[in-house]
Amino acid sequence: MDTQLLISGVIFGLSIGSIFFLLAIGLSLCFGLMRIISLDQLLYYSVGAYLTYSVCAVTGNAWIGVLVGMAVAGIVSFIVERFVFLRIYERDITFTMVASFGILFAGIGVIKYIWGLAPRPVPIPIEMQTTIFGTEIPVYRLIVVAISLLVYGGIWLFLNRTITGKAIRAGIEDIDHVEGLGINVYRLFTVTFIIAGTLSGLAGGLHAPLIMVDPVMGLEVLPFVFMVVIIGGLGSIKGTLVSAFLVGQVISIGSLIYAPLAQMAPFAIMLLILLIKPTGLYGSKLLKR
Amino acid sequence: MMNIFRWWWGILLMFLFLGVLRMFLPLPFMNEVLIFSIYTMGCNFLLGRVGFISFGQPAYLAVGAYATAFYLFYFGTNAYIGILLGILAGIVVSAAIGPLFVRLRSDYFALVNLALAVIMFYLFEKVLAGITHGDNGLWFLTRMSNTPVLNLGKHSDFFIFVFILAMAIWAFYKYLDDSVYGACCLATKINEDKLKFLGYDSFKIRWLAFIIANTTTALAGSLYAVYFGFVSPDFTSPHRAADPVVVTILGGVGTLYGPIVGAIAYTGMKDLVSGYIANWELFIGLLLVIIMLAGEKGIWGTLEPLLAKIIFRKRTGSGLSKNGDESL
Repeated sequence: MDTQLLISGVIFGLSIGSIFFLLAIGLSLCFGLMRIISLDQLLYYSVGAYLTYSVCAVTGNAWIGVLVGMAVAGIVSFIVERFVFLRIYERDITFTMVASFGILFAGIGVIKYIWGLAPRPVPIPIEMQTTIFGTEIPVYRLIVVAISLLVYGGIWLFLNRTITGKAIRAGIEDIDHVEGLGINVYRLFTVTFIIAGTLSGLAGGLHAPLIMVDPVMGLEVLPFVFMVVIIGGLGSIKGTLVSAFLVGQVISIGSLIYAPLAQMAPFAIMLLILLIKPTGLYGSKLLKR
Repeated sequence: MMNIFRWWWGILLMFLFLGVLRMFLPLPFMNEVLIFSIYTMGCNFLLGRVGFISFGQPAYLAVGAYATAFYLFYFGTNAYIGILLGILAGIVVSAAIGPLFVRLRSDYFALVNLALAVIMFYLFEKVLAGITHGDNGLWFLTRMSNTPVLNLGKHSDFFIFVFILAMAIWAFYKYLDDSVYGACCLATKINEDKLKFLGYDSFKIRWLAFIIANTTTALAGSLYAVYFGFVSPDFTSPHRAADPVVVTILGGVGTLYGPIVGAIAYTGMKDLVSGYIANWELFIGLLLVIIMLAGEKGIWGTLEPLLAKIIFRKRTGSGLSKNGDESL
């Protein structure tokens, strides 16, 4: 295979993987800590992307748009948590899943109402190209990868160096003990949910210039994000990072080899991993509850 | 004896209601409601009885639809045989992948099933594009020959066929629920250890339930194929993966009337609301959230106690059957 094609493929895979990582990290934390399958993360992703589009159209600077998108996504996720999830944490997982699906649907309806059906383009904030091993690479993709690695570092520090973060980590392993220690787990849930929503908003904002922003963009990435979460193992940050980059590479390299397989191969890998190790690559004893 | 009476009474009442609806509502709508309710019945069984959240039903829908379509497009012209082949394909596929899937529990099962739906989607759209014609789909509406007794190519005859079929399937599930097997299914959901202790094989019970439910879904798929005379990879699109689960919960999980009520409500809302405004998703979404917040029982789960109260108060029997005869 052509080396230049391969290098650009790897970079492409890394940037896609970064987006998946940012989206999946929130889903994975919610999944691990609160036992909810939070499909509505995909709504905050769309919200982030659309606000990036709108702010960029007004101010001409996509970076401001990304920041605004993150903030608004965080606020929306907080409101949703307050009004919906806080009331149904105790119930069966089916109901939270369907409720989050309902939120996603309603959100898509609102987005269609505000922005319309037409796909919107967002200009790439940095047009520059750089050369790696004689291959032209867009700098923006490298920045996306760098941001996601920074976020990984930040999340790692938060979970390992702060009391709240440690409580969240402990909660993923055994929520009853954490509650027994006198920590208000519902406050932990809120914090986790807002972090997840904000990161999903960031993912949307960063992804917007690479694709067209359209109302069902959330549904399009949904299966891939699920897959990243499952392959990595619930609640594991490292696992999510590894599996996100793995999935990104499989998609981009796979499309170079044989296009139809590119979309399918990650799912086949996921099926395989689940059948061999049902907890995912880095998942611990999370299956038993 | 009393139990049997109420059994048939329940079925007749529901289908009399559908028959009455047929007089007022357009035919395509009713056809879609019936097929959708067959589609949902399998999912309802899985979710309400066995405790599997199945987000992969489109995969089995597509298996049935494509089995019928291949036959009608490439080999024969008889729609009955096509539908039989669809059922057969459903049995074979779900029996083959069942052992892999039924080991997993609730949330993991949902995710792996979703993955299967996506694999099927790309399989039918891209990998097998030579046979399935990819996105263009397979058209065979004009290729179907007239079938004896009921001509499935005609929508009015098709309605009668699906009506009888839905009734039979509904009766079958009703029978399952009352049998020992149904109780075993419920037991695998609630207390698996105890069931094993009593000497039942929970793996086999779940496997059989998986096959039954997914074959029902495959049947719905082949009905769709015959009804539209067309199949495309859209059938298995992951975007629609939640539809049966949504309808099940909308109607009421684990209740027998739930799938039919849910299918009427969902299809009706989609048609009605989309007639006025472009985004029916908003309404469906808000409705789902409200139902989940309100009491997780769904429409039928909420209505049933009310109806029972009304019916038991003036339960003379004769008045109801007389009305029923007139409406048919």
